[in-house]
Amino acid sequence: MLDRKVKIKSVRDLGSNNYLLTLNAAEQARLIRPGQFFMLKCVEEVDENPLLRRPFTVFNICRHARSGRPAGLELLIKDVGTGTRKLVRMKPGQIIHCLGPQGNGFKVSAEMKNRVEMACLVAGGVGIAPLYMLAQDLMRQNIKPVLFYGGAGASDLVLREYFEKLGMDTNYTTMDGSFGERGLVTEPLARFLHKRAHRNIRVYACGPWGMMQAVHKLSERGKLQCDVSLEARMGCSLGACLGCVVRIKDPHGEDRYLRVCQEGPVFDSRLIDWETEPV
Amino acid sequence: MQLKYIMNRKKELLKAPRMAVEIAGVRFKNPVLTASGTFGYGLEFANLMDLNSIGGIVVKGLSMKPIKGNPPPRIYETASGMLNAIGWQNIGATEFVTAKLPGLRNYETKVIVNIVGFELNDYLEVARFLNDCPGIAALELNISCPNVEKGGFHFNKNPKDTYKVTAAAKKACRKLPLWVKLSPNVTDIREFARACEDAGADAVSVINTLVGMAVDVEKRQPRLRFLTGGLSGPAIKPIALRMVWEACQAVKIPVIGVGGIARTEDALEFLIAGARAVQVGTANFYRPDASQRIALGLQEYCRSHNIEDINELVGSLHAYE
Repeated sequence: MLDRKVKIKSVRDLGSNNYLLTLNAAEQARLIRPGQFFMLKCVEEVDENPLLRRPFTVFNICRHARSGRPAGLELLIKDVGTGTRKLVRMKPGQIIHCLGPQGNGFKVSAEMKNRVEMACLVAGGVGIAPLYMLAQDLMRQNIKPVLFYGGAGASDLVLREYFEKLGMDTNYTTMDGSFGERGLVTEPLARFLHKRAHRNIRVYACGPWGMMQAVHKLSERGKLQCDVSLEARMGCSLGACLGCVVRIKDPHGEDRYLRVCQEGPVFDSRLIDWETEPV
Repeated sequence: MQLKYIMNRKKELLKAPRMAVEIAGVRFKNPVLTASGTFGYGLEFANLMDLNSIGGIVVKGLSMKPIKGNPPPRIYETASGMLNAIGWQNIGATEFVTAKLPGLRNYETKVIVNIVGFELNDYLEVARFLNDCPGIAALELNISCPNVEKGGFHFNKNPKDTYKVTAAAKKACRKLPLWVKLSPNVTDIREFARACEDAGADAVSVINTLVGMAVDVEKRQPRLRFLTGGLSGPAIKPIALRMVWEACQAVKIPVIGVGGIARTEDALEFLIAGARAVQVGTANFYRPDASQRIALGLQEYCRSHNIEDINELVGSLHAYE
């Protein structure tokens, strides 16, 4: 984990208030694992508002064309408030503070391929962010990833071409029916899991709380392990402020709280008390 | 050439201002500490700054047994500040002493333990326990946390209760200096500072957070599940500074300034107003090395203003004639 001042390389408008921010952060890009995140200051001056940095998971590592070495980070930013608005209005060449990589990401190990044939990657909106690096990691282990990607409308399904280029099977849903199947992303997921009840499938989800809760329930029903990447308001990301906690259901003892920044952001969905939304 | 460099360096070192301050017989290498609840147990920041560069670390409030804390959402950012309602989540004093304190002893920075309690006896129990642990420089009695249903702030509602808990805690930790962290959510902080002094406190930390609130207008819900929270950050600095000044007028024991200190200039304001030392709080969240920068900045200020000893600055405020 490093705290560095990094240069903004580009801010690409993806539509529907989504932006792809590219940072020249080679040193930090070398350290990143899928599902980890960075804390970004949204303005150049440290003492300016908003004071607190914002957490963003990494979408992709950009690499030098010739050597293939990590050159920077690509982060998907949705403009949802004062902080993110200032961040996406920054210009190439501007310098921001960038702290990370932080947190426990997705665990994909070589021995996993003996037990897992297929992985369902379920995203709602900007929840797509941590899944691209995960998909690549899974493919390296010969585990077949399948994408389930939902949004309000077609314009919310940003960056889907990246997954198509990997040659993945994709399932899209939109609430307004403007792209893919009309309805919730959990509907094609439920059918998919139902058809392959005997298969060894792992589920990964990132998106709105309600969506992750529904994916968790489907996974439970199919006795599948499901990892979720949670979002929380964070103060420090260092485990100091205890602001970003999520409630953990302990079947043997009292409920307790774990920090999304340290013990997460990726958790086994069975641990989570889905009745208490952290944000 | 090299000799000249060495001579210059020697001169520079001789000229180096004395930065150490003393609080209740404990020497701090400089007056910059980190505030409780904003710096974890200290070690979380070891990769991001030099823990040896600051005078002291006030660790997260500890109770005898672990406390799980309030349900989320617990924090919300506001203009130049933030609200928090963590609710004393901590690992418990025993775990702190076995898992964290040995690591902290590797540093020459003083460790101050903030202690919390729901009942009078909770404070006394943890004070007695920590009293015998090597590697702790002082205890800071937290009677000013606004984010718990009972205890905490309830001992800071009238000076008599403050006196009672302070006197009892002082008896429980005879070996260690006792600081008391006071609440700004009172009419006159001077009365509370005096109550602490009369009860035998060795210092007061002024101030804890101000009670605040924020509302989500879409959901028509409070931003914090606890409803209210403690406001911290640069937004509260002028209030903290005024209260530190008032406390300094009221008592002879050292006053430690806390509240919105984020830059060197902020720390200087508190020292000039009378604070013997300062604690950096919320700034640690958005600039993890804020305290180190301020410690260096103070030294630079002294050097450039020909101040030989930082203590010359303490209480040097000139009022208008």
